[in-house]
Amino acid sequence: MLNTPERITTDILVIGGGSSGLWTAKGAKEADPNADVLIVDKSFRDWGGLMHLSGGDLEVCRGGDSAEDWVKDFTYYWDGLCQQDVMETIWQQSHEIFEEYQRLGCTYLKDDEGSYRSVPQRSLDHVRLFPVAVKGTGGPNARAAMIREMERLGVRRLGRIEITELIKKNDRIVGAVGFNYVTGQPLIFQAKAVVIAAGIASWKPSYNQNTACGEGPCLAFRAGAVLRNFEFLHIWNVPRDFEWEGQTVLMPLGAKFVNREGEVFMNRYSPILGPNTDPHYITRGMALETLAGRGPITLDLSAIEEKDHPIVRPKAGRHLLHYDKLIDEGIDFFRDKFEWITQVQLSNGAVETGENGETAVKGLYCAGRCRSLDPGVYMGGFALMTTAITGRMSGRAAAEFIAGAEAVDLDTKAAASMLEATFAPLGKEGVTPAEVLTDLQKIITPYDVSILKTAGALHRAQQQLQQLREEKLSHLAAADPHYLLKLEEVKAIADVTDFYLTAALFREDSRAGHFRADFPHRYDDWLCWVNLYNEGGRAVPKKKFVPTADYKFPVERFYCDNFTF
Amino acid sequence: MIRFINAELCIGCGTCVENCPLDTLRMNDEGKAYIAYGDDCHSCYLCELACPVGAIFVHPFKKPFPSPFSHLKEGGEDNA
Repeated sequence: MLNTPERITTDILVIGGGSSGLWTAKGAKEADPNADVLIVDKSFRDWGGLMHLSGGDLEVCRGGDSAEDWVKDFTYYWDGLCQQDVMETIWQQSHEIFEEYQRLGCTYLKDDEGSYRSVPQRSLDHVRLFPVAVKGTGGPNARAAMIREMERLGVRRLGRIEITELIKKNDRIVGAVGFNYVTGQPLIFQAKAVVIAAGIASWKPSYNQNTACGEGPCLAFRAGAVLRNFEFLHIWNVPRDFEWEGQTVLMPLGAKFVNREGEVFMNRYSPILGPNTDPHYITRGMALETLAGRGPITLDLSAIEEKDHPIVRPKAGRHLLHYDKLIDEGIDFFRDKFEWITQVQLSNGAVETGENGETAVKGLYCAGRCRSLDPGVYMGGFALMTTAITGRMSGRAAAEFIAGAEAVDLDTKAAASMLEATFAPLGKEGVTPAEVLTDLQKIITPYDVSILKTAGALHRAQQQLQQLREEKLSHLAAADPHYLLKLEEVKAIADVTDFYLTAALFREDSRAGHFRADFPHRYDDWLCWVNLYNEGGRAVPKKKFVPTADYKFPVERFYCDNFTF
Repeated sequence: MIRFINAELCIGCGTCVENCPLDTLRMNDEGKAYIAYGDDCHSCYLCELACPVGAIFVHPFKKPFPSPFSHLKEGGEDNA
């Protein structure tokens, strides 16, 4: 029997308390100090999301660069799939965020003359990241600074809460339901606007990214929002046995992946760029080398110069603790050779929004990585900067929306019945979420599903997923509220796996982070996004063409053309 | 992955429980922290860093993830 739900009322409900959620709240409260803003986070209150675990480095358009320079770089890097107007606005605001973080006490690395150090990214003309002053302190410092801001602005926060459904009334979002997975208390939230800032989906790769499982995009999709960029996976090259934060600064400073013969194999796949490129291209090279019997792959750091050690060597915090523990295990990251593998980390799919984070559903906004910007190729410092900017945008937009919106009473009975459905597997015997998670990891991981994709392999994965749904997902059970959380997570991961397979199969083209071995080139009729529409609960893929006629800059250079794949 | 919490050293302050992003740790009836959901640990070290008495040890190695090539070894299937 369900406990009586606790009802909580606010003006703006922010789902997720990481970088984007915190900046959403800051943006909303600065726009309207009288608005009540409540952040609910799945993890502990004030943990700050994955920002807490990040390096803290930021991509900033500054110095002699203009936002237009950066938009040209991104149009090229993303093979045309760049919302130029949105990205120009974002890079125009990046320096402001950089300044604000410094005003809040964060510090960034400077040289002896007092100029900021920076690291160019992916052999692009302009894009660069600005490293934190002391490697290992960046994420915790940014998190602490933002929590102080929440205190100053009077933002309410709650932790250990999983949101399971949004509540709609007259086609407008008016709240959400969820539960506290420590106490088991069911919760009903009434809000004038909801901002989802809950990140994207991971397949729990143990790369300090095991928290967000795609619940955010799934909530939005079920409410009627449109999804985008699900054919792109965040697939990374990682040490086989442990994680390492900060790889995006290693390659520009001289690190090179090599095969068993010591050959810098990316020179073969890209004579133009060589080893200094994005992991999504390197993982393709790694897969091909492994299939050709030239594995294992290792990383050669010998060319990194001493002057760059402050950028790459951890000096404090959990990064230094991790480095020291590896030393205790007989592994010196900067001296020893060890195997690197490709690993599926995250989905890159998220919600399609308007410029300020508004979705196709009235009263619902998305921010941060839950808002789709990029097609799967990455750069260091991108997420931390863009989550801040899109968070602030959504917060301001939500504040403006509630100023003109009437409060709508939600249907408590309907909300309670949603909660009854959520709690139905609790205390029952059945399939464990851990078992389903392992199965989902096995479905998504094969190289022909995730890296060198083929129609045959993607169809095979779809059949495996269907079988999993029939045999296990419908029999999931939770021994206690903690496992009820895990159950909700694997349900979302299963839906994200479905979205991925649908979109990856649909795009018969290769560009940016998506490579089809059976369609290995880019084709002009695929200069489009793959949007997923909710039609009767099914994700239906459709092309949404890039509006080249409205673009400020022509799409005439393609980063993917630098490769021989 | 988290390996152990030394119950003799643990002073029962609950800081590690509060600081675990994945709810891996809980307090037992004796008022000590224990590993309740060890499989959920993602080796972030926040508990170990927060512990005021050094009672926690997290090993730097991560939980194994399926290999992209294991389906070749298992069934010899290759659709590439």
